[in-house]
Amino acid sequence: MTGFLPTDRFPLITASGHRLLQRLQEHPHAPRYTHLGYNRLTLAGLQRAHDFLVELQTRAGWEPGEIPAWVDEFVAQCYREAPFYRRDGPPPADFFDLPTTDRADLSREPWAFVPDSQPLDDLIIYNTSGTTGHPIDILTHPDTLALYIPLLQAALATHGVTLRSGPDQVGIALICYQKRTYTYAAVLAVLDQAGFVKVNLNPAEWRSPDDRALFLDDCAPEIYTGDPIAFGELAKLPLRTRPKALVSTAMTLIAGLKQSLEGRFGCPAIDVYSMNESGPIGVADPNGEGYLLLQPRLYVEVLDPDGSACPPGVRGEITLTGGFNPFLPLLRYRTGDYAALEYRGGQPMLTRLEGRPPTVFRATDGRLVNNVDISIALRPLTITQYALHQSADGSLRLRVRGADDLEAVRAALLEVFGSDQRVVVEAVEALGAGSDKITQYTSDGGL
Amino acid sequence: MQTEGPPLETLTRRLAECPADFLAEPRVGSQGKVHVAAVVSDLMRDLGRAPLTLEQAAVFQSKIQRQDRNRLQAVLIACWLLHDPWFLEQKRFAPQAYNFLSRGLNELAKLTQAQQFITDPDRREELARLCLKELGLRPAGETMAQAQDRLATLNTIERQRVIQAARAAEERARQIRAAMAAEAAREAEMKAMRE
Repeated sequence: MTGFLPTDRFPLITASGHRLLQRLQEHPHAPRYTHLGYNRLTLAGLQRAHDFLVELQTRAGWEPGEIPAWVDEFVAQCYREAPFYRRDGPPPADFFDLPTTDRADLSREPWAFVPDSQPLDDLIIYNTSGTTGHPIDILTHPDTLALYIPLLQAALATHGVTLRSGPDQVGIALICYQKRTYTYAAVLAVLDQAGFVKVNLNPAEWRSPDDRALFLDDCAPEIYTGDPIAFGELAKLPLRTRPKALVSTAMTLIAGLKQSLEGRFGCPAIDVYSMNESGPIGVADPNGEGYLLLQPRLYVEVLDPDGSACPPGVRGEITLTGGFNPFLPLLRYRTGDYAALEYRGGQPMLTRLEGRPPTVFRATDGRLVNNVDISIALRPLTITQYALHQSADGSLRLRVRGADDLEAVRAALLEVFGSDQRVVVEAVEALGAGSDKITQYTSDGGL
Repeated sequence: MQTEGPPLETLTRRLAECPADFLAEPRVGSQGKVHVAAVVSDLMRDLGRAPLTLEQAAVFQSKIQRQDRNRLQAVLIACWLLHDPWFLEQKRFAPQAYNFLSRGLNELAKLTQAQQFITDPDRREELARLCLKELGLRPAGETMAQAQDRLATLNTIERQRVIQAARAAEERARQIRAAMAAEAAREAEMKAMRE
C-alpha cells in the first residue's frame, strides 16, 4: 500500500516510483533532507527529453569562421522576442558584428532575456553566485531541467557508459560537501521512475556520520554527480558499492584527483564543463585532449577582449550562442571562462580550458570550508562584488564593492569560519583591472 | 528656420533611396565595417570645410556597441541626406551639419531605430525636417509656423509610440518579476548536477 500518489510534486509518478520515493525518504539511514523533492516534468517535456537524446547523437560541427545554419533564425528570434536584444534595433547582417553580453547584463535584468511568447507557468528560479562576483537568477522550467538527463547520458556515452536505471533503482546520487544546501529525494519520469537523491556529505546533516556510507551503499546509485570537493569526501567513506561513473562539474577536476578517484572507485571520473546559464557545454574526452561539445544547438566561440574571434588554438573567452533554456536565449554570452577552440575532423573542441579552480578554505578549527557556503552566507547582504583570499597563515582578506555594512559582512564571514578567524574587510571602488571578470575565491592552500 | 531650404519631398525621397554603403554596420570597437568619423570628415570637406580634427572625430568613434551603434547608424544616414546637391552647392552648412551630427541627432537616435529613417515615411520626414531645422532652414513652400508645427507633431506621435512600447515592456517585466518572487525557493526541483 503506497497511498495517494504525490502528483502535485511528481505529475508523472507511478506506483513503483512512489514506492521508491517512500523508501528513499523513509530510509533508516537517510540524511535529514532539507526539502521535499520535486520533478514536475510534463508529458510534453518527457517527449522532448526523449527527442533531445536523439538530437544529441549529432555533434556540434562547424569549421573555423563558420556559423551553423540554425544561428541566423535564432538571432532573428532573439531580436524579435527578447527585450534585452530588441532594444538594439535590428540585428547586424553579420553575426560577428553582434554585441556580446555578459554576466553583469544577466545579473541586472534577467527578465529582459525572457522572450515575449514564453509562458511563465511553473517557473523555477535558481540563484547562483558563481565565481565572477555577479549573483544571477536563472529562470528555468521542470521540462528544461529534465534535459540535463539526456545531456548527462550523452556525456557518459563518450566514455562508453550507459545509464540503464529504471523502476526501484537509484539512477543518480548528486553529492555535495558544504555547510548547508538543499537536499531531497525524487524519482525521475525521464529515467523510467528511477530514483534520484541529492545529499550533503557534511556529517552534521545526518543522524550518524556512518549513515552516509550505509545509505549510499543501499541506494547503490548507478552514477554519482558532484564537485571535486564532494568527491574528495566521498572517497573517504567506506563504500562497498561501485558506481559506473563519477561525473564532476562546477569546478575543474584536477588530473591528480581524477586518477585517485578512478583508482578508488574503479570507474571513470568524467569532467563535465557546465554552467547554470547554458547547462552542460562539454565533456572531457577520454584521451584527455580537451572537451567535446555536447549541445548541437550551442554555438561556441572563443573571443579576445575586443570581441574578435581568436584563431584556432589561441586561448580566449568562451562565448556562447543558443542553448536549450527557453527563458534564457544566449547571444554571444561571455562566460568568464577561458579556453582555445581546436578542430578535430571538423569537430570543434575546447582545449586548455581554465574554468573555476576548486578553492579550499579552512575554518579556524581546521574544518574544510566550501566556497559555496561563503556565497550563501554573503548572499543576503547588499554587496555588488567581492573577492576573498585566504593566506597560508589562515587569515582572510575580503575586498568588497558596494557593501553598505562592512560589519555585517565581517559577521557573516565569522559565522562560517569561526569567531576567532582573522579577517580584513576592505571596501574598494573596483576589483580587477577594469574588467567585470574576477577570480572571486583564491587561497594559498591546495585541495 | 528663417531661410527656405529645398523641397521636403526631395529629401525624403533621397532617404528612401539610401544606398547600402550608408546602411552598413558602423565600426564600433573591432566590430562593424564603416568608420563613421571618416564619412563625416568627407562630408565636411564636400560641404566646403576642412576635414575633422582628431578631437572632432572622437565623437564618432566608440567601443561601446550597445550604447552607440544606433546613433552612429543614424549619423551615417544623416550624412547621406546632407550629401544632397542642394546642401553641397551652398558650401556654407558645414558648422551646422557638424553640430547636427555630433549633438542634434542624439535625442532622436535614442527614440528611433536608425533603419526606420529609411523604411518609415514618418521617420523619413522627421529626420529631414530636423536636419533642415538644425541648419536654420525650413522646407520650400512652408511658413516657419507650419514647419515648426509639423515637426512637433511628428515628434509627439513618435514619443507616444515609444512610451506605449516601453509601458508594454515594463508590464511584461513586472509580470516576470512577480513570478520570480513567487517562485523564489524552488531549488528542490530535480537537477542532475551542480554547476
